[in-house]
This record gives sequence, structure tokens and C-alpha cells, in this order.
Amino acid sequence: MAGSARVAAATLITALLATACSQGSATRTEEPAAGGKVTLRYFTFSAAPDHVKDLDTIVAAFEKENPTVDVQVETAPYDQYFTKLQTSIAGQTAPDTFELNYENFVTYATAGSLLDLGAAGGDTDTSGYATESLNAFKHDGKQFALPASFSTVVLLYNKDLFEKAGVPLPTADWTWEDEQAAAEKLTADGVYGDFQPVTFFEFYKALKQAGGEFMAGGKSTFNSPQGVKAAKWLVGKVGKTMPTEAEIGGTADFDTNLFKSGKLAMWHNGIWQFAGLKDVPFAWDVVVEPGDSQKASAVFHNSVAASTTTKHPREAYAWAKFLSSSNVAATTRIASSWELPPVSDQAVLQGYLKDPVPANRQAVFDSLDSIALPPVIARQQEMQDAVTQELTEAAAGRKSVEEALTEAASKVDALLG
Amino acid sequence: MARAGRYVVVGLGALIMLFPFAWAVITSLTPAGAVLQTPPDFTPDGAGFGAYERLLETMPFWRIMFNSLWIAVASTVFQLVTSSMAAYAFARLPFPGRGALFAVYLATLMVPLQVLVVPLFIEMRTFNLTDTYFAVLAPTIASAFGVFLLRQAVRQVPREFDEAAVLDGAGHFRIFALVVLPLIRPALATFAIFGFMASWNSFLWPLVIIRSPEFMTLPLGLANLHGQFTTEWNVVMAGSVVSVVPILVLYLFAQKHVIASVAQSGLK
Amino acid sequence: MTLTEVPAPAAVKQPVRPPRKRLRYALTVAVFLLPSAVPLLLFTLIPMAGSLWTSLHEWNLITPMKWVGLDNYADLLASEETRAAFGHTLYFIAGYLPLVYAGGLGLAMLLNRAMKGRDLFRAIYFLPVVTSWVVVALLWKWLLNPASGIVNWAIGLVGLEGPGWWTDPDWAMPSIILASAWKDLGFVMIILLAGLQAIPNEYLEAARVDGANAWQRFRRITLPLLSPSTFFVVVISLINGFQVFDQVHVMTGGGPAGATQVVVEQVYNLTFKYGRAGAASALSWLLFAVVLVVTLIQVRGQRRWVNYG
Repeated sequence: MAGSARVAAATLITALLATACSQGSATRTEEPAAGGKVTLRYFTFSAAPDHVKDLDTIVAAFEKENPTVDVQVETAPYDQYFTKLQTSIAGQTAPDTFELNYENFVTYATAGSLLDLGAAGGDTDTSGYATESLNAFKHDGKQFALPASFSTVVLLYNKDLFEKAGVPLPTADWTWEDEQAAAEKLTADGVYGDFQPVTFFEFYKALKQAGGEFMAGGKSTFNSPQGVKAAKWLVGKVGKTMPTEAEIGGTADFDTNLFKSGKLAMWHNGIWQFAGLKDVPFAWDVVVEPGDSQKASAVFHNSVAASTTTKHPREAYAWAKFLSSSNVAATTRIASSWELPPVSDQAVLQGYLKDPVPANRQAVFDSLDSIALPPVIARQQEMQDAVTQELTEAAAGRKSVEEALTEAASKVDALLG
Repeated sequence: MARAGRYVVVGLGALIMLFPFAWAVITSLTPAGAVLQTPPDFTPDGAGFGAYERLLETMPFWRIMFNSLWIAVASTVFQLVTSSMAAYAFARLPFPGRGALFAVYLATLMVPLQVLVVPLFIEMRTFNLTDTYFAVLAPTIASAFGVFLLRQAVRQVPREFDEAAVLDGAGHFRIFALVVLPLIRPALATFAIFGFMASWNSFLWPLVIIRSPEFMTLPLGLANLHGQFTTEWNVVMAGSVVSVVPILVLYLFAQKHVIASVAQSGLK
Repeated sequence: MTLTEVPAPAAVKQPVRPPRKRLRYALTVAVFLLPSAVPLLLFTLIPMAGSLWTSLHEWNLITPMKWVGLDNYADLLASEETRAAFGHTLYFIAGYLPLVYAGGLGLAMLLNRAMKGRDLFRAIYFLPVVTSWVVVALLWKWLLNPASGIVNWAIGLVGLEGPGWWTDPDWAMPSIILASAWKDLGFVMIILLAGLQAIPNEYLEAARVDGANAWQRFRRITLPLLSPSTFFVVVISLINGFQVFDQVHVMTGGGPAGATQVVVEQVYNLTFKYGRAGAASALSWLLFAVVLVVTLIQVRGQRRWVNYG
């Protein structure tokens, strides 16, 4: 059997060599395309499946302005987007430009995968952007991505249910106590008063509403009286004014269907839900989320970044800028409710208010007055999962809120290293 | 009495097995707003083929079907040929190190795909093969699972059959093609189904290796129905129903084939 | 590593061949093996070596690899999570394998005999095998819904209170086992049916003539002659069982409270969610070592019970 061992050893060595070689050689052999045209790849998760046509509109306008550039769009669903992006970066076939959300931005900027767009473009005019959005995508003082869109979380409510129960409608002045009191009155006969998922994203926001901080000076600070209050606020709803995990049955979109079928009075969710609620047979509206010691609304930002390996930095910058701040892009987004453009031009944004449903669209802009950006670290996903898991334990009654937060804090501190 | 009992057992079991599929069909016929209620509504209002129409319009459906079909058929044919030949060698051709080599074959089944995807991607990249049909197909040309399944079948073929052929002066290629292959047709038909299924349902590898929409396969198309915040479940179910059909057709075909082959082989 | 096999009769009396004939024979073997060996080498073994290499590094896929030697292995071996993941995986196998084999064998026996609608029944039992895990998981989560599921409703009818199934850490794994066994019954059935059909009818006839009853025929003839198929099912189910992933990923995602966090779910999270491809590869190689040992034990043990015609 010595022969077979030799065969096996030879196989392994060949294999190792081949892989080692593949690590070393990383030459790009694509392009240039025929006719002096530059092909620019753009990879996105937010376009499919609902806004592919809107993106096409923006691409067409860009190509008309830049006839030498051909933008090639690639889409993937959010769940798989980062699997694909990471693999392509590992294989040195990263797309020239790609979409990044705020939570993942730091990971990629720290890794050195992103082109410094400020230097690449040669023009530094950023007057078209809302300053806060622009700053969110700076890292070490460099503009590694341009903000392309944002959306906020508000309180959606079923007007009919409120009126039937004789409960006054939510206002912008509401606090947690008002929300809880209303939710208790509204919960009856198969109707739930409230729905707010017990997750990392709701927790960091509630924490800010309670006046707490998630972390400071490289250590977690959420295991505080404010943190306990915020966690209790979320966990306390479960099984009282909100369905339990068992009732939700792990079904995705359970809350969406509950609200659409008129069995949910108040719903903490994003403005991306508006389009899907066009045809519901009841009256509904939105209001800025109730706060505790202060107001704080969650904002989700998406940006467009360019890869350091792109051969066309100028074109990449031009496309990133067009997609994020051009008038065509902004108006296309507003017209199709494809999130909001992070532009400073108020006249463009006013277009968003023209749509009659929901009536109080102004609340979306009001929510921007005091925003809560998620805490972001290099090991982001592990942190999010750890916090969500511990809060879920508390919600299921397997741990006390205090135990869960202590455990979560020690996990997060370990991740902060 | 025992006979009736058998029908009751088999029939009840069959109902339980049919249930999820029936549920998927019903959900696919349900209008978007009414899906995924608990408990499910088995007589939805406004039922129709809307989800199937949406399936056709949200993706280049026929192109995707064509891609998936031809890749699955090609990979099944490749696997049948490569696996049955290797199975014959492992069962009938003794050589030094055969056991060790078979262990290496089996070992390829023991590392999870999840960690092989990235090195394989890098390898394909070195050969400039990313985003090609060949790259999608490559990992399914050979199948250690198939070699193992068919080796077991070849070893079950009584040796007197090939010994008789040897006396007639037949070489290994003729014994393989004319004696062994016809006798392992049930196993070949079984493996054809699994080989087809593996390629047809394969997700992670096509996901990372394909980037052009024209090479997209069905599982990728279906995954695209899950948005970042919302999912159109009725369309997802319609897609799942459609994706089951080709395998079921193949199964029915293979099943007929298995029975026919047993009847003809003279084993009865 | 060598596998001792049941020596084939031909191997025992293999004649010493003259050199020319030996070359010819070697060529024949090569022609039979190369069509599968080359693709396996290129598209599986080389990536395997790649992942072995990765396992010695710290790597988040988007920054260059950093050599850490055996640190990943040391960290994993010391970690409570690794032990838990292997424990959950073994738990899954211990529940799944007996269930799916007994069920699949019973079905194959029932559906091997002549009966009306037999083909239709076989096709129906095969349906769950071809239905995607996404659909099956959704359905089982509803069936086993602690609050409104049909299973707990039925348990309630006999005056008992049903468990929390997949929302309860103690019952989550049994829920997954149940759903998995249900889905794979048809797989085992079809393999064993192919094996049953290869059993020459004359053997059973002869036994019947000799006065053997149904149980004796099953025990003395069917089961031994089915042993190559059984061997295949057990080896493959164990290899696949150690790599259980799809159903866990869509049914519980490793929860609740990490009660169903199996090895490959961990591997997936480490690679694609947590940017720790090196640790994921190391964990995969630990899994590989376990599966290899288990498989070798079976292959060595097969001569005691597997009967190749």
C-alpha cells in the first residue's frame, strides 16, 4: 500500500501548489470593451426585485450623459449579497462599483477594499448632499462611499381600529407610556395592539430613546439602567400587547400580514412598507415613533462605493455621484417610493409629500430631526446576532432582562477585543 | 384483512406526504395579500394564476428554465458515465491501492461545501472561468456519491455472469457495457434522479460563480423573489411548484424504466 | 490509510501477468478511473487543499490572509461552542438515522409487493424528497406551531398539553429530526427498493418451497441480500447527517438559545456572516476527521455483515 500513500501525497502537494499559485497571481484580463467604451460593473441588493426598472432609468440617463461608459447592473437578494460580494473580492473579481449599507461600511472601509472617492474624482463638490448622510460614509477623514438612499422607521397605525376602540390617535408627542396604554386597550378579540420586533436594531434605538449609550471608549455601555429600561420596554410587549414567538411561528412577514389583515393597531416599521399598503381596506397613517426621555428614530442608509481594484476610478466616481445625487436619480427614487435620496435640495424632497397616502408623510422628514444611527464595529454581524439572541432569551422568559443584558455586554466586549 | 391493513397504512402515509405539496400549490394560487395565514386557508378567495404570471414577468423565466434544464441534464449524463466506469473499476478490477483510492473518493464527500466554495472560486478565477456555463457544471462532472452507489450495485451482480462472458473471450469494456450496465439499471435510474436533483437544486456554487443574468439558474431566480424587507410568498411557492415538476417527470420515467429493466434482465 | 476490503475472489486467484499484459491491464484500470478521478481532483480535492491552507490563516475574505499556524484549531478545540455544535450534530444523527432507516425499509417492503396503485404511491412518497427545504420547513413550522399547529391540537384532543416544539430549546432538535426523517423517507425507500429488486426471485421462491415463513424469509434472505444497499444508506446518511445544514438553516437558524447550532451552520456563519473563513475551514477539518474515522470504522466492519452476492 506504499504506492497508494505516494499517490495521495503527490495529489495533496499538487493541490496545495495550485492553490498557492492561485493566491499569488491576480492579474485582471478583462476589457477594454470594443469601440473605446468602458464597461463599469455595478452590484446592488436594493434594486431587485421591485426597482430594477427604476435603476434602468437612472442607468440610461447616466449613459446618455457619459456616452463612453456602459454600466452593467448585477443584482442579488440581500440575504445572499454579501456572500457573493465577499467571494468576488476574495477572488479578485470585485465589481467596479457596489452598494453598501451603513452597518457594513466600516468593515469594508477598514479592510482597504474601498476606493477613496474624494481623491478618485478630482472634484470635491459635495454641496448636493445632506451633510449628515455624507459624514456617515467618511472613514479616517476620507470619503469611501457616497450616500445613495435612506429610509427611516416610523410608527404605522390602523386608524379604524383606534376609532372603533375609542382610543385617541397617536401624536408626535407620545411617549412610551401613551403607546403602552393605547396598546393595552386595543389588544382584544384577536387584535394585537402593538408590534415591535425584539432585535438589536430596535434595542439600540430604544436605548437612545431612554437616554442611554450603546458603547463608549471601545467598551459596551448598554448594560445600564437605561439599557434595562429599553430592553424591558421591548420584552414587556411580548405575549401582552404583541404576539409571542410561538404565535408568530417563525413566519417571515407575519407582522406585515397581521397589519394588512387589519388585526394590528400599531406597527413599528420602515417607510419601505408604504408601497405594499396601497390597497388595504382600512384607513392608516404614520407618526414619529414615541420616545421616552427623548425622541430617536432609526435611519437605514445605503451607499455606493467603488473597489480599489477598479481600472476605471474616474468613471466609477462619476457613476457613484450620479446614482447618489443627480436630479434624475433623486426624482426617480421619490416617484417610485424607492427609499429617499440623501440630497440637500428641499424642493426635490417635497415631491415625496405629494402622495396622499399616508396623509402624514411629513412625519418621515420630522423623524430625521433626531436620528439614531446603529453602533458599528468591525465584527458587526456577530454583535448584532449576540444582542438579538440574548434579548430573545429574555423575551421567551428563559432569562431575566438583567441576565440577558449582562451576558450580551460580555459578548460584545469580547468582540470589541 | 392484512391486505386491507396495508392499504390503510400506505394510504394514510401518502396523505401526509402529499400535504405539503398540496399546500404549496394552494399558496401559489392565493392572491398576494392572503398568503401565510396561520392556520392556512385552504379555500382562499380570489384564487388564480397571478403568481405564475408574475413569475414569468419578474425574471427571464424560459431562459432560466432552459439553463437549469440543460445544465442538469448534462451533469446527469456526465455523472452516469464517469461514476459507472469508476464503480466497475472499484468493484471488478483489483489493483494496488484500490482501497486507499476509494477512501479518497469517499473523503471528497466529507468536507462541507460551504468552505470549498471560496477556494474553488479562486481556482476558477485563475483559469479565467468565472461566469461561464462550464464553471457551473464543473463540480458536478464526477460524483463520489454516484461511484459509491453504483459500486454497491456492481458488487451485487453475480460473478458467474461476467465469468461466463470472460469464457466467451470478452474484455472488460465489453463486460462493463454489455453485462454489468444492463444489470445495474435500477441503480443507474436511481442515481440519475439524484444526480439531476443535485444539479437542479444547487444554489451556493451557482450563486457565487455566476454574475451574468443570462447564465442564471432556477434556484437563483427564485431566491431573487426574496427582497430585503418583503417576500412574495405566493410567487415563491409558484416557483417551488414549477421546480418540482421536472424532477417528478424524471422520477416517473425512471420508475417505469426500473421496472421494465428488472422484467427484461432475466433475474426474475 | 488503507481500507481493508472483502477480498474479491478474482483478486485472490489473480494470475501473475507478463509485463505487456500488465501494462494493458493498468491502462484499462486508468481508462475506467480517469473520467471521474480528474474532475474530482480538480474541482474537489484542490479546493479541499485550499481550505486546509485557509484553516492555517486568519482571513475575512476581503483582506489579505494572515498566517496563524494552528491557532484556529487550538481556539476551536478549547471552545465551548465547538463542543456544543458537535453535540447537537450527534444528537441529530442519533435521532434521525434509526427513524429514517426503519421507516424507509418498512416503506420499501410494503411497496415492493404487488398492489394496486403501487407506482402512484411510490411517486407520492418521493414527493417530499424533491420538494425544496424552504417549502417543507415553512410547512413543518406550521404543523408544529405550539399555539395553532395541528399536531398540538391533536395532542390536546387526548387531554395532554403539546410541547413548544421548535420554539423550546428542549424540543427544537426533535422537531428538526422529525421533519428531516419525514422528508428523507422517500430517499431511503428508493435506494432500498432498487436493492430489493436486485434480489433474484428464485431465492425467495426456493425458501418458500422449503417452508420458510414470511419473517424467516425476510430475516434470512431479504435482509442479508439487501445488506449492500443498507451499508450504502448508513454510510451516506452518516456522512450527510454530520453535515446537516439546510433544514437547520431554514427552520431554526441554530436557535432557540443555540439549541440546534450544528457544525455546518457554524461553518456557514463563520465564513459568510462573521468574516472568519480561517476558523470555518479549521472547523470543517475537525468535522472531516470525525466523519472519516466513523466511515473507516464502518468500512472495516462491513465484512462482518455485508454480503456481496
